[in-house]
Amino acid sequence: MNEQAKEKISYYKTSLFHPFYAFYEIRFRKKGSLKIAFVLMCLFGILQCAAYQYTGFVMNKNPVHEMNSVSIFLTYAGGVVLFTISNWAVTTLFNGKGGMGDIFTVVCYSLTPLIALDLIVVIASNFVIIEEVMILQAIHGIALVYFIFLAMAGLCTIHEYSLKENIISILATFIAAAIIIFIGVLFFTMIEKMAGFIWLVVEEAMRKL
Amino acid sequence: MAGMKKIISLLAALFIVLLFSFSVCADTGVSYTYDYWKNVKESPAAFGLEQVVDASNLNGASFGSVDDVCASADGRLFVADKTAGRIYVFDDSGNLLQSIKAIKSSDGKIVINKDGSQLILNGCEGLFMDEETDELYIANTGSMQVVVLDGNDYTFKRVFGKPENMTGTTEFKPSKVAVDHSGRIYLVVQSSYEGIIELNKDGSFSRYFGVNTPKVNLVDYFWKSIASDKQKQKMSKIYAPAFNNVAIDGEGFVMAVTYDSAAEDSVFRLNSGGKNVLREEGNIPVVGDIRSYDSTQSQFVDIAVTDYGTYAVIDKSKGRIFLYNFDGELLNVFGGMGDLKGEFKNPTSIAWLGDKLAVSDGTLNAVYIFAPTDFGKAILKGNEAYYYGRWDEALGYFKEAIRLNANYEPAYSAIGKNYLMKNEYRQAMYYFKLGNNRIFYSKAFNGYRNIVLKKYFYIPAGIMLLLIIGIIYSEVRFFQEKRRYYR
Repeated sequence: MNEQAKEKISYYKTSLFHPFYAFYEIRFRKKGSLKIAFVLMCLFGILQCAAYQYTGFVMNKNPVHEMNSVSIFLTYAGGVVLFTISNWAVTTLFNGKGGMGDIFTVVCYSLTPLIALDLIVVIASNFVIIEEVMILQAIHGIALVYFIFLAMAGLCTIHEYSLKENIISILATFIAAAIIIFIGVLFFTMIEKMAGFIWLVVEEAMRKL
Repeated sequence: MAGMKKIISLLAALFIVLLFSFSVCADTGVSYTYDYWKNVKESPAAFGLEQVVDASNLNGASFGSVDDVCASADGRLFVADKTAGRIYVFDDSGNLLQSIKAIKSSDGKIVINKDGSQLILNGCEGLFMDEETDELYIANTGSMQVVVLDGNDYTFKRVFGKPENMTGTTEFKPSKVAVDHSGRIYLVVQSSYEGIIELNKDGSFSRYFGVNTPKVNLVDYFWKSIASDKQKQKMSKIYAPAFNNVAIDGEGFVMAVTYDSAAEDSVFRLNSGGKNVLREEGNIPVVGDIRSYDSTQSQFVDIAVTDYGTYAVIDKSKGRIFLYNFDGELLNVFGGMGDLKGEFKNPTSIAWLGDKLAVSDGTLNAVYIFAPTDFGKAILKGNEAYYYGRWDEALGYFKEAIRLNANYEPAYSAIGKNYLMKNEYRQAMYYFKLGNNRIFYSKAFNGYRNIVLKKYFYIPAGIMLLLIIGIIYSEVRFFQEKRRYYR
């Protein structure tokens, strides 16, 4: 392992406890690593699959027999990607300074507490009774709050936003994400209709000829 | 010769096909339950049609309508005919024993009302057989009174008109009647928003009983919250939905149903304060159909309760009978609307006839007697044995139910409960998992976890001990170093 990689890993660790400082370094001194971010995103998707299947019976209300791990993985990992794209689209309009890679790095780095604590929750959920479920839910809540804090701090830093601007841009991000999904669905239905039509024409032609 | 053989074999095939189709017809409609995720799970029917009591059992007369049925413990079936103003009494094989119109006293004389008219049945809509005092209560709706007859020779005993001390705006038009173990009389007036009328044993008015809360509509709530007092006065008032039928369960609680879609609950078990204390411990709430293609709510017109708390409610919109146990677990759904024998047009009431169910239909003017199938017997007897705490017996019945229907969550859950009662936690956990019963799984797991912890207590204890020793050791070392340093 070379020096550069070691330094990047050390900045990843720092980002968990000193997000403003570390994300500043990541944005302006290129200390971030897209590879680490990508691995974290994959871990997050895999963890969600594991949570669906291996959460203890007392807490697990999912119909495990009809689980689809591909769709779960894509939902969560795709969610991260979608957020990155729509946040980039919005912040370019709102004078944000961060690039797409910066946003992706920040969001994935911030997922770390969620991955770590939820892994504990999934394992511990196999040993609890209903009265103790509350404790695990509290841990999950802490993880969620920590994740939101890290992501907000990171996005503020890389875009050079104030907190208010950042919140507005995130709200706009969700609207943008909804529009992207809508257009995506529209696009695929149109393609489907068109393919159907072409197939119909081909079928008709084959009968006539 | 060959042609002859062909014809014979064809006829034989036809015969077999016909036989098969008839045996299918015997199970009317669809039968199902819901699983934990609210999916419909097909199930064998718990009840099958055994007998039809209709005009052919009346020796030449005919029903005007069939509005209520009730049964006595010795198997007599009472049928109320509102249009003709008659009560018919049948024995357990459907033979007409008596038809009651004019009420006679025990010495054979005609009974006279207070105003001098003869006491006859007039538009009677409800019946109740009180087994303890052996009296037949009739809600004589047309004459606005409750008539009490002797349960054996159907002679006059008492009559209650509108109590003088009755308050409120409800018209005294008793439609359904029930009597609890201490003789209090509960009367349902259709479309009364004040509740069930409770009378004392002597017929004096006691109170309005039962709380039937309407659903809260968020939009209405918003407008009401910003409206001025004057505007509020002009707004239409929301009245409490009416109860539509009553029954008394084995513990003396009043059970009631309503089919008003504005009501929050549809089945009630009312405590003495009139609050709904119905147990809803099953995987799905006690509301009848959860998923329906036309998103209509089940409309319960009547409820019948056994001594061991298992109750059947009948839905007049789809003609389905829902069977719940005392915990509120859905046991089975069967029956349906249609033209086949055993299907309904307009179900009006339901009653237990021992283990059988008697269901009346107001349009077809018939009473269907449904007998439990093997599956039905297993689940009814299993629930009875469980209710009375005969764990081993219940276990056998529920295992039989599982043998007949391997998708049956309530039975898995019940088997688990039986094992839990016997402190066999591993077995209980296995069955609770199959029955998707998380609350009881947690209880069984708690017991199991305690055993495991006790057995392997030395492992966490040893780790803790090592940790403590380690800390002490490092502290000692630290202070030794410190001392050496300062020396």
